[in-house]
Amino acid sequence: MAEVVKVCTQNFGKGAQDIEVYKKLGGYANISERLFEMSQFELIDYVQRSNLRGRGGAGFPTGMKWSFVPRNSGKPVYIVVNADEGEGGTFKDHFLMMEDPHRLIEGLIIAAWALGSRAAYIYVRGEFLPCIESLNKALNQAYAAGYLGENIMGTKFCFDIFVHRGAGAYICGEETALINSLEGQKGQPRLKPPFPAVSGAWKSPTCVNNVETIMSLPWILQHDPSEYAKMGTPRAGGTKVFCISGDVKNPGVYEAPLGTPMMTMINEYAGGVVGGKLKAVLPGGSSCAPLTAEEAAVATMDYECLASMKTMFGSGAMIIINDTHNMVDLLNCLGNFYSHESCGQCTPCREGTGLLHRILNLIVDGKGHDGDVELMQSLCGGFGGVTICPLSISLGGPVGSYTAKFRADFDEYIAKNPDHAKPRVQENYRPGIFW
Amino acid sequence: MREHIQGAVQFVSNNHLKFDGPAEPIAALPDPAETFGHVNKEVPQPPTKEVLAKLDTPEIKERCADLLSRYPEGQGALLEVLWLVQGVFGWVPREGIRWAARVCGCAPAHALGVATFYTMYNHAPKGKFLLQFCRNISCTIKGAPSIIAYVEKCLDIKTGCTTPDGLFTLLQVECLGSCGNGPMMLVNDDFATDVENDKLVMKPGTTLTKESVDRILKWCYAHEKDMPKHDVLGGTVKGHCGHPGAPGATAKPQVADYAPPSPVLNVKAEADETGATLTWKGAPEFTKIVVEKKNGSKWEVVGEPGVKDKAFVDASGKVGDVYRMIATSGERTAKPSKEAVTTQKPAPVEEGK
Amino acid sequence: MSNYYNMPKLPTENSPKVEIFVDDKPVMVPGDTNLLEALKAVGIETPHVCYHPYLPVSGNCRQCLVEQEGPRGRMLVIACYTPVAPGMKIYTPASSARVKNARKATQEFMLVNHPLDCPICDKAGECTLQENYMEAGQNESRMRPEYGKNYHGNPAHQFIDAKGQLRGGKHVDLGPRVLLDEERCVQCDRCVRFMRSIAKDEQLQLAGRADHTYITTFPGEKLDHEYDLCVTDVCPVGAMTAKYFRFQKRVWLLSHTPTISMDDSLGANIWLDHADGHIYRVMPRCNPEVNRSWLSNTSRLAFQNFDKNRLPAMDVHKVTLGKGKVALVAGGSCTMEDLAALRMFKESLGDRAELFGGSLLKVGKPDGIAMSGDPVANRAGMKLMGYADVSEFMKRASEFESLITVNANLFGEDSAAAKVLEKINTRIALSAFDDETVKEATIAIGVRHWSEVQGTMVNSLNILQKLNACPVCPDENLWAPYAVLSHMAGTKFETAAEAFKKVGEYVPALAGLTYDAIKSTGKLLEGGEA
Repeated sequence: MAEVVKVCTQNFGKGAQDIEVYKKLGGYANISERLFEMSQFELIDYVQRSNLRGRGGAGFPTGMKWSFVPRNSGKPVYIVVNADEGEGGTFKDHFLMMEDPHRLIEGLIIAAWALGSRAAYIYVRGEFLPCIESLNKALNQAYAAGYLGENIMGTKFCFDIFVHRGAGAYICGEETALINSLEGQKGQPRLKPPFPAVSGAWKSPTCVNNVETIMSLPWILQHDPSEYAKMGTPRAGGTKVFCISGDVKNPGVYEAPLGTPMMTMINEYAGGVVGGKLKAVLPGGSSCAPLTAEEAAVATMDYECLASMKTMFGSGAMIIINDTHNMVDLLNCLGNFYSHESCGQCTPCREGTGLLHRILNLIVDGKGHDGDVELMQSLCGGFGGVTICPLSISLGGPVGSYTAKFRADFDEYIAKNPDHAKPRVQENYRPGIFW
Repeated sequence: MREHIQGAVQFVSNNHLKFDGPAEPIAALPDPAETFGHVNKEVPQPPTKEVLAKLDTPEIKERCADLLSRYPEGQGALLEVLWLVQGVFGWVPREGIRWAARVCGCAPAHALGVATFYTMYNHAPKGKFLLQFCRNISCTIKGAPSIIAYVEKCLDIKTGCTTPDGLFTLLQVECLGSCGNGPMMLVNDDFATDVENDKLVMKPGTTLTKESVDRILKWCYAHEKDMPKHDVLGGTVKGHCGHPGAPGATAKPQVADYAPPSPVLNVKAEADETGATLTWKGAPEFTKIVVEKKNGSKWEVVGEPGVKDKAFVDASGKVGDVYRMIATSGERTAKPSKEAVTTQKPAPVEEGK
Repeated sequence: MSNYYNMPKLPTENSPKVEIFVDDKPVMVPGDTNLLEALKAVGIETPHVCYHPYLPVSGNCRQCLVEQEGPRGRMLVIACYTPVAPGMKIYTPASSARVKNARKATQEFMLVNHPLDCPICDKAGECTLQENYMEAGQNESRMRPEYGKNYHGNPAHQFIDAKGQLRGGKHVDLGPRVLLDEERCVQCDRCVRFMRSIAKDEQLQLAGRADHTYITTFPGEKLDHEYDLCVTDVCPVGAMTAKYFRFQKRVWLLSHTPTISMDDSLGANIWLDHADGHIYRVMPRCNPEVNRSWLSNTSRLAFQNFDKNRLPAMDVHKVTLGKGKVALVAGGSCTMEDLAALRMFKESLGDRAELFGGSLLKVGKPDGIAMSGDPVANRAGMKLMGYADVSEFMKRASEFESLITVNANLFGEDSAAAKVLEKINTRIALSAFDDETVKEATIAIGVRHWSEVQGTMVNSLNILQKLNACPVCPDENLWAPYAVLSHMAGTKFETAAEAFKKVGEYVPALAGLTYDAIKSTGKLLEGGEA
């Protein structure tokens, strides 16, 4: 395994939670004359040339996102850090914030300089209280050292960072839902347009970026943008923090360049599959379509390759599944998850995810019936592109792909019902005496 | 809405029903839940006075003032204020929700909607140790169901229940963002896969096993009296100035000229028989752009392209000429762009090649 | 919840027309609105549940899907949130199977957890779900009993019924006027948006999430607002029902009379829903300029007293007046026709008679929804017709020897101030009700109530609006006020149209108008501000 440049995880295990250690490791070097002499436009151009793409899952080019933010609109510009990491299999932000909170702060100062932002909010999911403690400690140190607050390092630039604790809603990872949550409303996604870059939090321009995206900025600014761009694929620069979980020897967080072959990630970084033979890989978190062992053998971990294989790169969260597992059980997990996390706004998602979960439960309980799988596939057809946010497709997609690729697992479960082939009697439901 | 029912179903209008006059409005019928029995027990709420007295402390007032100073609108602090309520009671009583709504200046019903939307707000008292087990896909792959079944057996309760001694509440939750350690758990607010040196730890690569679950439960029993408690908002941050305009904030809005004005970027000059063609990348805030050409040691102005223009042609330009561009944004003039030496324009690629 | 500040832009008569392509056919539609309204303007109905023209768009029912040709091919979009753009290409179910299937799928999802209790649901017959089912659904149920239903409901109201099914709350007492059926709720958010954005008092909220969402007030609090019955109007299903109308009448047995509520000078447009000679309910009638789709509880529930305490008819030949000055006082609910007849009567009496109009009640402030706060509904009409305010009459009451009041309950409105009227010898009261003024009168003549007469009124926005007679008059012998007055003046108007012609003679602005020329939303008179 070749030595890889570590952009975000270089300080792991070095005690960089303390500002002195972080500074010794080269931290806050960017918050200097070099940054202060740059104009907003130059800095955004710099990030655009680095080819950095959002690391939250959608993979939107960061520089382009920033260039959409209207300048001199008379309204404040907000930066919101999306640390509401909740997708099954993703846990990089948790460790990034625990191990290196100062890098996030440094990255935020750079981003704020580029966007002219006065206040930034780090939206951390409620379960990550240790991360919030780590961030608050780091913020106290950064304020004491003069990196934050009024007139930073003697310039006219003022900037404050606030940590906002979420309270348990997966959907707040969607940027408009996150903004709603920040505004003290229910975390339900908004209709678009207007996009947050134009009218987001409190109707002001708002840039929502992932933790890892922001944490890549200090390295990019220290080096040449082309150096960062060179590390990845032509359309997405840099390294990526991969989360590998499931049936591997060493699950954990690994940083590798984009475009690394999937089997390299599994075998060399994570120590190989344990407990059986490789059955399937979810390459980008729980909501993506699984790859079979044959497909995984040829896949590389980047946006384009995985898109071409009808799955997605997402947040780079690989879940490795060995052949001792039945895919129905795992799909039932997802049914449980997504029907629980639907925000209850759009009809297909609100009622449909719950219905899918009930059908899946029946199959797992051995009460499945011929035609259930076809019905599920048909119901998922009703999800496609009709809801405000993609949560319904996050369940609809896997239902479609699991049933297509691992149909035998479903048939095995349905066969457990002795009456699975009997025609069902359609009983009319009559309400009781109360109506 | 009414327009399309107008004139509907006229054929029934000739059935002569005996008219007794509109009866008195039907009073509420017996609640079916009273007849059949409530599925969920009503949570006894503490008296309003008691709730308000507990929330009326200088410490909480200070925290609320700090939180309100962070957001342009009071409602933004709603989630955090609800957390403070949960920090005091361990759950959010109704009067606590109403109090939070009053603090944040929103309607109580709105606060109720928010408090019920997010799953981490408890609407009933919980045990002293809230054990939350992840049941999402990564943890399930690594055997979470058997660990949960084991804990259920150890504590002799079902998921969602509290032990009779009020010590443990067991919950299955969705992804806790530590899939690399799956199966894993949260003990109140601490991630845990094991106990080390009398502390809950989650080291990279470790997972819950039946043995480590035993150790964690033992640790809980040992720390029944001196349970380490976290601040619900992870401590306070000193030194921030708040959000400009928020109550109690000292912050002023960002000044527009904190950064130097934007120069013209990526100036390229290519010459062919029509002269030198300049291309560049300009910022949206530009109000004026000037092109200059080097003449010996002096710079001469050769033109002023519009701010929306994409290219500029200097008819007298030839290979080797040096250009630079100077942009103005409002009243601020930026430093000149990097000097661009004119190169020969490559011949256009013929089609079909 | 989302984007609660986005009110839909509605087309007006002056909307610029742009060309768009619907199913590849060019059509001209209003250019400054959303697609749903634009398609409606050219006669294409799009099924929808959560969209309401006078509420902010929330876009959560996903029923109004259409296909739009975009840079990335044909995409499904919701018509209610897509602005019309010139040249856009739209595909409706008429040409696109994808749209048809998507709407059908949404319809199926909508009914997954919806109870099948239409036969005993008060909304049946005017239920949006039923209409949408006929238009976009009509699929055979694919649900199996094993799947069960997950009825929406407050955990505090849930119970398990005799069949072992978990049920949500039924007939939950939401407030003094509204009952809630939690199971029937389709989470369209309309009532929440109404209370938040129109009534400006967020008493309702959707609690919980996913398919455990339910409508609730803050526990222990009741839904209580001057406009709370509007939530039963905006509710597309039978979740919110008005207590006063619950189980009173199937809606398809009701006939509807469009008229104007004559208890406020805004003149809210209403439907009187009646059957068998009785009014069963009053519903707001949409008028974009006046009350939009809203109606206050006061105006809505007033009908309950329309047929109570009525004054019987009387032969009007017995009326004789003294020689002294005569005061003719018209009440706030007098129509233009009544005013014209009264003026005609005044002219028959000569100079000794004077005209007054109005009421002794206090004038309030407009609430910005459907009330102007002025109890004299036809105040603008009185001004046009040359009536002095009744306060003028009260100052000079001692000058008069006779007083004729027309639906003006002066004694009831301010009994202390009305004491001065007791000195007047002849007090003739024309009134629909046996009220205090009638009790004080020397002669009382029963007339028809404003809900039972045809006529016109001018509201506070200077819009001429049309009243229609609802066939609910308790006594056929009762005459309309204008008929009684014109009879007293010498030439009886047999129809309201005759009286209206007389109105045209008195008011040049209305000369030559006929009832047919007045639209259902009224006619803006010159000098109006609307």
